[in-house]
Amino acid sequence: MSLTSPVFFLFLIITLFVYFTVPGRYQWLVLLVASYLFYAVAGIKLIFFLLLTTVTTYFAGLLLSRWKNKTRKKWLLAAVLLFNFGLLAFLKYYNFAIAGLNLILAPAGFALPSFSLLLPLGISFYTFQSAGYLIDLYRGKYQAETNPAKFALFVSFFPQIIQGPISRFDQLAPQLTAPHALDFDQLKYGIQLMLWGYFKKIIIADRAVVVVNTVLDNFTSHSGSIIAFAVFFYCLQIYCDFSGGIDIVRGTAQMLGINLRENFRRPYFATSLADFWRRWHISLGDWMRDYLFFPLSLAKPFYKLGKRTRKLFPGKLGKIIPTSLASFIVFFTIGIWHGANLKYIAFGIYNGLLISFAIVIEPYMKNFLQKVQINPQGRFWQIIQIISTNFLVFIGRYFTRAASLGAALQMLKKTFFFFQASAINSGALLDLGLTKLDYLLVLCGSLIILGVGFAQEKGTSIRKTLEQKNWAFQWALVMVTLFVLVVFGIYRQGFIASEFIYQQF
Amino acid sequence: MEEKVLAILAALNPDVDFTAETNLIDDDILDSFDIITLVGELNDTFKLDIGPQHLLPENFNSVTAIINLIKKLQAEG
Repeated sequence: MSLTSPVFFLFLIITLFVYFTVPGRYQWLVLLVASYLFYAVAGIKLIFFLLLTTVTTYFAGLLLSRWKNKTRKKWLLAAVLLFNFGLLAFLKYYNFAIAGLNLILAPAGFALPSFSLLLPLGISFYTFQSAGYLIDLYRGKYQAETNPAKFALFVSFFPQIIQGPISRFDQLAPQLTAPHALDFDQLKYGIQLMLWGYFKKIIIADRAVVVVNTVLDNFTSHSGSIIAFAVFFYCLQIYCDFSGGIDIVRGTAQMLGINLRENFRRPYFATSLADFWRRWHISLGDWMRDYLFFPLSLAKPFYKLGKRTRKLFPGKLGKIIPTSLASFIVFFTIGIWHGANLKYIAFGIYNGLLISFAIVIEPYMKNFLQKVQINPQGRFWQIIQIISTNFLVFIGRYFTRAASLGAALQMLKKTFFFFQASAINSGALLDLGLTKLDYLLVLCGSLIILGVGFAQEKGTSIRKTLEQKNWAFQWALVMVTLFVLVVFGIYRQGFIASEFIYQQF
Repeated sequence: MEEKVLAILAALNPDVDFTAETNLIDDDILDSFDIITLVGELNDTFKLDIGPQHLLPENFNSVTAIINLIKKLQAEG
């Protein structure tokens, strides 16, 4: 059930009604039933995989909390993590691996069968979330959940299972099981957040995608400037699609009285690539930091490597080599997680290299700025940093959007060597599937997002600002947004609200 | 102990007044790379075994928090 479908609204209204009607101590059961219903609609057979992860994690969790022997705990943790990530990898990469193997086996006359494996909805997100729970238990951060049904709800909670955010047990589970009285403020905030999400998704992302697909699925017949224009639209699309989807998820949860963590913090205001990744898909970044980057960097081999490199290269470089290596592995893992494709590996290397490079040159940069008398904390330098960060992110997007690494490199080559600025004219742009009105909506929508983002960067709470206006204004704003969504969104001919990008991961 | 910790922190970023900050992690003054360097130095200097399970914001948000963590780990031996 897509978050933009009428069925979802019906489902949500019924869930809300039942949730706030039953006594508080049964509310979590309503959420559990709703979550499994939601999941069953996506594919009843796929519940098997969800249950497999839930059951293995639940029992492993109980044992990790009970056992005292560290070695035993370590082996159990490793086995259950391997099983669950193995399942994820198998379902995600089986056909890719088989296709590769068959290429090798073909001369010998062998061929392995490929299956049409449907990826269970949200498998990455619930697997990551469950794995985090187990690692936390292993580290003794909290005690295991003993009620299997309550644990099942933590794994399957319906708004967030589709595309995150990846929650932590100690932050989410107590909220899920606590009673929640109907709170009109929470309901209002939830609706506001959902509308904001739909605005991003339906008004901007679902329009931008038209240009993106028209140009980039057939990039060889377009000039460099049009390709760059389409990649820029892809940046808009992916941000509005993913962050809009998360807004809808968080808004839905908030109506139920549950606060999910933020997953985006205005990434387009980032002042460095590292800063960008701290603001983009925050829950995945935090997960990778806590459960992969930290353990890797503090592991003995890395520690020894660090001692050696510090001797070999005194100063910043020596200190940074083992940590950079660990961050490379993280980016590589994130790349592979997106898909079994060389382009994602290249994307990982691209980010890892640039981030490491930025750290190494930091002291030289400081000296340079001092010499040319530029204040590194000043407005001017900040703007330069924001522009250059956005440019680096923009280049990185060539890799994620292109069909293959080869295509990405060709697209980049065309952009840099065959730009042909004159190809961008109103005639050409109107030939890409969008009308003047569509472009105007994308432009106005983006400016609104930028404006809201700017205010938030300055520390203004949009919610509080709205709160101070009178009720007529607040209602008018909701109505205008709804009107815009209905007129320019869902019911506009020729546009069908598309699936969310991150649902496929 | 405090002097040693402050010296290690100052080597990470000389521009920050570490005695005054109480939100080193939550305000992103120390990023994950800094944390790894810091932990390496603390482990070497105080002969500790700070592991990933100790890398929580509340253990590194201020000099006092860091010293408390060191004392706790030293007491555990």
